[in-house]
Amino acid sequence: MIENVHRKIKAFYERHSIKVNIILILISILLPYIINSNYIVGILCRVLMYSVLAGSLNIINGYSGQFNIGHAGFFCIGAYTEAVLATRYGWNFWLLLLIAGIFTSLVGFLISLPTLRLRGIYLAIVTLGFSEIIRIIALNWTSVTGGPMGVKGIPSPIFLGIRISGSSRYYYIFLALAILFIFITNRVITSRIGRAWISIREDELAAKSLGVESSFYKSINFMYGAFWAGVMGAAYAPYYKFIASDMFTLDEGFNILSMVIIGGQGTLVGPFVGSLIVNIITEVFRFAAQYRMVVYAILIITMMWLRPQGLVGAYDSILAGNRARRKLKRKPVKVGDK
Amino acid sequence: MDNYYIMQIINGLAQGSIYALMAIGYSVVVGVVGLVTFTHGEVIMLGAYAAYYTFTFIGENIVLGMLASFLAAWLVGVVVYKICYEKFFDSPRHIPLICTIGLSMLLKNLAQIIFGPNMKAMPQPINLKFYNISGVRINTIQILIFATVLVLSLGLYILNNKTRWGIQLRAVSQDRKAAALMGINVNRTTLIGNSIGCSLGGVAGMLLSIYYQSLVPTMGGILGLKAFSSSVLGGLTEAPASALGGVLIGLTENLGISVLSNSYRDVFAFVFLVLVLTIRPQGFSRKVVGRP
Repeated sequence: MIENVHRKIKAFYERHSIKVNIILILISILLPYIINSNYIVGILCRVLMYSVLAGSLNIINGYSGQFNIGHAGFFCIGAYTEAVLATRYGWNFWLLLLIAGIFTSLVGFLISLPTLRLRGIYLAIVTLGFSEIIRIIALNWTSVTGGPMGVKGIPSPIFLGIRISGSSRYYYIFLALAILFIFITNRVITSRIGRAWISIREDELAAKSLGVESSFYKSINFMYGAFWAGVMGAAYAPYYKFIASDMFTLDEGFNILSMVIIGGQGTLVGPFVGSLIVNIITEVFRFAAQYRMVVYAILIITMMWLRPQGLVGAYDSILAGNRARRKLKRKPVKVGDK
Repeated sequence: MDNYYIMQIINGLAQGSIYALMAIGYSVVVGVVGLVTFTHGEVIMLGAYAAYYTFTFIGENIVLGMLASFLAAWLVGVVVYKICYEKFFDSPRHIPLICTIGLSMLLKNLAQIIFGPNMKAMPQPINLKFYNISGVRINTIQILIFATVLVLSLGLYILNNKTRWGIQLRAVSQDRKAAALMGINVNRTTLIGNSIGCSLGGVAGMLLSIYYQSLVPTMGGILGLKAFSSSVLGGLTEAPASALGGVLIGLTENLGISVLSNSYRDVFAFVFLVLVLTIRPQGFSRKVVGRP
């Protein structure tokens, strides 16, 4: 039933994609003026930031079926790269976005090496361990990272002579990055590379036998996801002006994972829906912050029981589990068929 | 100087024994269920808390503490099985995996709410005494750890190899469908096997909190990772090799902090894991790694 709605919306979008895109972008640009509330724009900034973070994790988990649950580690590397280089050497923010992304993707490549020969389960544990290693290093490498005190006084970006600070202006940086992420990722997903990732997700052995070089594409997949996590880390640091290692704990990684799982894996729109839902839960439960993670956890388990691919995930893929596929395969037999 | 390294080796062996127990439990779970799990760390944590509340409210009796942690972990094992495994044996394996992640988050955060987020001092059910054995100091807590781990490991060995039920367990580990064809109640065997693995983890949690004299709800995450690392070293489903992996990780940590700062102690286990996965993915096992 939901699949039918999903298909109809998808068909509608495909028929009117240019108009819908333009309208959505216009609405997004005007939203801060329509809402006119710093508090809500601040929430929108968080939603946008986490949308891209969850989206970059979804590239790894949802499109190639690899299993990264330490995404906070990449986020951490990107944030610290920008913070350290900006405060010590005064490098330009826009350049640092790219540098942080590239550096983080190189680390992603290194992380993917040990597990190329193994199934994703080992990758899950290694990424979790890696995330914790990065955080511990950031906590203790005082000469570079400031240790427990973190990095303070991160300079704001400057655009055409205007200092961009505060959520109402910074919103547009996050918005631009989100649009850029969607555009580029959509192009990648629909290309040869994206089809290779999806084939690896569905059945790696079959993909190999059809000529897909799975090690190569898995590494690229990991690097691509890590790149965008690094970019968002770099965008995040000057927005808050201060970063410390306890912003990038395992809980943060699970937070990002929650958005992907709840919103949906294997589609571009899933992580955005997940980010919206999880951030709304965060605000609604702000009076009882300790229950927030409990709600996430229950949502994850419920989702796995009822709808493994997530709310708007790829329902016709292995992510949906066997039941959904069996449903699709079962069609009524017409009288007169052989 | 020599004494210091010998002391660190003793510490490493004691800590490694606890990791070995965690790893044995983990490998039993993985072996019988056929899926890796993220809840083992939380099982260990809840075992520690069961012992803590037994010592606090009933009395500082080590046997009661062990029974409490064993039973509490058993119950959690049943819950984990019912929520994450029972209906997912024919599903793609990432689905129960995500389920265990969700349950792990749930258990940890509920523990923080129920038990309080702060570190608690663990009552010490055994008086701390030191013995000198040919120049090597060893204390009663370390002896307790060695003795408990040995007894439980031996018990598991006997159960697995000398009883009819153990044969069923190993049959299910090897091939669920073939075991079902042979008339074994696969679901019940899996449930009990999973609970046994969790119970060993629970006792390990108690030993660890006694050793460190403290416990905290967030301790499960790191411990789960170490249990997995030890298990990977042992080839993931072989209990004796996993035990050896645990001891090695304990030794690596304690000797590692001799070289670097204590702050980096948790890093050694994972660097060790990455090195093993890179160089020898099957660990001590002679089997080639299949589908975990």
